[in-house]
Amino acid sequence: MDALSRPAVVIDNGTGYTKMGFAGNVEPCFITPTVVAVNDSFSSSGQPAARGAPARGNWLAQHSAGVMADLDFYIGEEALARSRASTSHSLSYPIRNGQVENWDTMERFWQQCIFNYLRCDPEDHYFLLTESPLTAPETREYTGEIMFETFNVPGLYIAVQPVLALAAGYTTTKCEMTGVVVDVGDGATHIVPVADGYVIGSSIRSIPITGKDVTQFVHQLLKERGENIPPEESFDVARRIKEMYCYTSSDIVKEFNKHDREPSKYVKHWTGIKPKTGAKYTCDIGYERFLGPEIFFNPEIYNNDFTTPLQVVIDKCIQSSPIDTRRALYKNIVLSGGSTMFKDFHRRLQRDLKKIVDARVRASNSRLISGDTKAQPIEVNVVSHPIQRYAVWFGGSVLASTAEFYEACHTKAEYEEYGASICRSNPVFKGMY
Amino acid sequence: MILLQSPSRFLLQILQDRVLSGEKGIDIDCHTVEFDDVRYHIQFSMRNPKVMVLSVALPLPPPEAILYDGLPLGAIEAIKAAYGPVVQILDPPKDGFDLTMKINLTKLPLDEEQRNAILTQIASIREVVLGAPLKLLLKHLASKAVAPNVDKLVALVHRPNESFFLAPQADKVTIVYPMRFQDSIDIVLATSFLQEFVEARRTAALNNVPSCMWSPAPPLELKGVSADALNANAGFVTFVVYPRHVEGKKLDRTVWNLLTFHAYVSYHVKCSEGFMHTRMRRRVESLIQALDQAKSDAEKLKKLVHGGSFKRLSLKNEVDSRF
Repeated sequence: MDALSRPAVVIDNGTGYTKMGFAGNVEPCFITPTVVAVNDSFSSSGQPAARGAPARGNWLAQHSAGVMADLDFYIGEEALARSRASTSHSLSYPIRNGQVENWDTMERFWQQCIFNYLRCDPEDHYFLLTESPLTAPETREYTGEIMFETFNVPGLYIAVQPVLALAAGYTTTKCEMTGVVVDVGDGATHIVPVADGYVIGSSIRSIPITGKDVTQFVHQLLKERGENIPPEESFDVARRIKEMYCYTSSDIVKEFNKHDREPSKYVKHWTGIKPKTGAKYTCDIGYERFLGPEIFFNPEIYNNDFTTPLQVVIDKCIQSSPIDTRRALYKNIVLSGGSTMFKDFHRRLQRDLKKIVDARVRASNSRLISGDTKAQPIEVNVVSHPIQRYAVWFGGSVLASTAEFYEACHTKAEYEEYGASICRSNPVFKGMY
Repeated sequence: MILLQSPSRFLLQILQDRVLSGEKGIDIDCHTVEFDDVRYHIQFSMRNPKVMVLSVALPLPPPEAILYDGLPLGAIEAIKAAYGPVVQILDPPKDGFDLTMKINLTKLPLDEEQRNAILTQIASIREVVLGAPLKLLLKHLASKAVAPNVDKLVALVHRPNESFFLAPQADKVTIVYPMRFQDSIDIVLATSFLQEFVEARRTAALNNVPSCMWSPAPPLELKGVSADALNANAGFVTFVVYPRHVEGKKLDRTVWNLLTFHAYVSYHVKCSEGFMHTRMRRRVESLIQALDQAKSDAEKLKKLVHGGSFKRLSLKNEVDSRF
């Protein structure tokens, strides 16, 4: 049995969560927070050990100080638990805003993903990794270098996240590789138009409002109301409140009224245990349930620097795309990423976008003199599917289970012949535009 | 996380989710692969949400290892002993797999601790099945007797098409691993890792562990084994296990560690490569820093002027320069 007959490993490293599993499955095996807890004593004592050549005599000293500590780290939930329990480990988030920041911890994160979570031998499997559409070629090279040099993978494909998100819809509905992907992750929000599988690079938009900002906003609202939450885990609680209770409203004023009329129905409660004292505490969750996701549609309630609503950005993005693709793009707007999971998010987005488009059609029709052909109404369709949270991973799983995948991969032989530069470019950017 | 754990994380997660999820169930049908080509196929059907059908495929056996109905010696008995009524073996196994079991989650003990113990045990199915013959031999060692009707040299499946060898005696068992690696860098790293491994054994703190040897040529115990099974590019590792290493609770751990020795070495080779990269990165950073410091003042100034050119574009500067 060789690597071609085994399923490929698909790892989608997001800013907040990493989704990993084997190709051909419907769900990823693990969804863990992208976080590494590193032992601090290592980073300080490791420095001198790295300088001088290790002498044989102080083997035991090194053994206790540095050499063993290179395995003294945890990832995912274990890392969070570890850093809460003791002060010897500090958390490090290797990915910031969709880009890898810390390659040391990233390499370790992958190492644990492969050996301790998926428990596979990297030499046995092809790998599919993902990257955001704005990743620099150097980053891609670096990824290739780590994968081929450290893990000896037989083949690697670095896919672009929005294309995979589109491919995820490919199987569930119809064969459509044209559409706008609205990818709202924890650390980055991108709006990427794709035509026939090729990314229209010049029209990619990204906005500085992400899942983390929703958490921050919920956190801020809770704090301003003076809810009784221990400060050391208040951000974590805000994140969980966001994940469990937040929803999108159709009209804020109506929603405020609803809450005020029947607080017992809409106000939820959160119960937790203080980590230091072990005492129980409760707090109320009120308006933030619908105000959190509202920052995508009315950003001015959150910050003053960026006030363009999501639907306007999407509209601008489509308007800047080639004119013959626009109708198809409006017809297929695909959501992906964990922060689009709020209830009714797609309905709200569709309604707001439709309003803008209809207004424009009406305006252009009113300018016509009688006798001219009227513009046909434009179909706006925001697609939502149940696997939205890991749509990118699922797309990767679908892609990696086809036979063509193995041909598109960069192989180890190629890497050894040409070097890391083979990973520099991705064919989906070299489209017809 | 220096050692690889015996229970499969994924299996355990699915089992625990399912036990806690209550009555309603969804279809699950997924495949996963573990190191050394152990494949799992997990199925839950909507109709029977509390019954899991688990199929396991084992690594391709090398010609010198002896199997019974596609399973290692004593595997069936080991499964029955480990799981009791919870697990029912289906015969024949599913196409392409070596073992299919039906796990009835309603028959789990109600006590949470016991239940978790047995779930972990199910997740370590690999250890139970592949480790069965090894466990049998080591049990005999613990009672200081040679197992009846056992050859002088036993070959057991280690990896696909590779085996490791045991020479059982009344008071000790000698275990020999031919180590093979694909990549040339891995061979070098693994060889030095193993030599260091033997070296580490000599320190005073580790006096009671099994003695361990490494040699580039096959040791004497392997006399008479076919040449195919003996071409190892990273040498041979020999462990001598005494009864004190397999007493009571130590037995399971010893079996697992011996069973996955290659995976352990390979894991650490990869880890040390990662560690070296970390150090290389740090070195490059410090070199760049040194280069930056060595720059003459003129060069630094040039950079500043370059940065300043940005400023010249502003309106205010333009007005200034006009006067």
